[in-house]
Amino acid sequence: MIYLLPFIALVIGALLAVLLRVGPQEGLTGQYMAVACIAGLDTICGGVRSGLEGKFTNEVFVTGFISNIVLAFFLAWLGDRIGIDLFLVVALVFGARILQNLSLIRRYLLTKWQDAKEKKRLQEIAAKAQAQSQMQADATS
Amino acid sequence: MSGNQWVLPVSALSLVLGFMVMTASITATTRSSRFSLLGAAQQGRVGIGPLDLEEQYVKMSEEVKALRGENDKLQTALGDRNSSTKVLNEGLEQAKAFAGLTDVQGPGLKVTLTDSTKSTIGQSETVQEYAIVHDMDILKVTNELLAAGAEAIDVNGHRIVATSSFRCVGPVIQVDGVPVASPVVIRAIGDPAAMEGGLNLPGGVLSLIRMFDPAMVRVEQVKEMRIAAYGGSTECHFAKPVESK
Repeated sequence: MIYLLPFIALVIGALLAVLLRVGPQEGLTGQYMAVACIAGLDTICGGVRSGLEGKFTNEVFVTGFISNIVLAFFLAWLGDRIGIDLFLVVALVFGARILQNLSLIRRYLLTKWQDAKEKKRLQEIAAKAQAQSQMQADATS
Repeated sequence: MSGNQWVLPVSALSLVLGFMVMTASITATTRSSRFSLLGAAQQGRVGIGPLDLEEQYVKMSEEVKALRGENDKLQTALGDRNSSTKVLNEGLEQAKAFAGLTDVQGPGLKVTLTDSTKSTIGQSETVQEYAIVHDMDILKVTNELLAAGAEAIDVNGHRIVATSSFRCVGPVIQVDGVPVASPVVIRAIGDPAAMEGGLNLPGGVLSLIRMFDPAMVRVEQVKEMRIAAYGGSTECHFAKPVESK
């Protein structure tokens, strides 16, 4: 159940923003905050995935989180400067990556759960067989 | 478990992300709520412009009235000379009364439509729309009055004639191109009881407004009222009368 911790932290973060009475963000920060959120969500999903795969590196994760957000911010800002909705690109790419990451996480957890079930079943069979052979040994002696 | 050391950093940044998402949500919400407030403020600023126009309109319509009075006098003088022109003049008077070119008086109905004073801040835009008087409301009320036998109508002092129009230009209602603002007073000469009955039909024109705020509508019967003549241009540029043989 330790896997629920990031999710709980997400909710706590949202609650903190409400409790601290964060006002509306003015200017650039407010305008592109939503885009940065998508980038952040993607990095979190990517972090969970790599963690489950056992490939997690702290440095890569933290720098990825920051640089993704900054990049998304910059792209959206640039798009507004030159009159192309580049935030759509950010939303599309990161959205696709979020979905991909989530499906990988789901598949990984599913496999893990099935493995655990299989292992338990095999253990039970082994225990039963052992008990049987024990009984036979007792009968013969 | 050593394999789970990723959970803590991910959770820490999840916290940050949750904070960001909520901040973005708060920003978006306040922006949309501010939008309507801005609209109201703009309404005030935009309203200053048309005021000068209205003054101009009043001046010009006074001029038109004076000229029409002179014309009337000349026509009566002409009519006094002999009986045939007298008959003609009577016909002309009737036609002018029908067309709204003379002052008329009689019993009637006074309908006042006011913007609601209920606070709609933070409500959806649809609800905020209900709280103000629209061009369509005036159009529907005048139409219903006509259907109930109104013979002369004016809206905030502007006589309604065959070519009259009601429309919205931005936040301002225009009657025949002249801006009017809440409260909108619609007066009609005709059978007061019949007209009031028409307006108060269940599911009728006023029911929707009253559903939101009954204080937005006031209907009074008036024993005697005077409605001024139409002050705008009566020239026809395109429509020419067909000669009858």
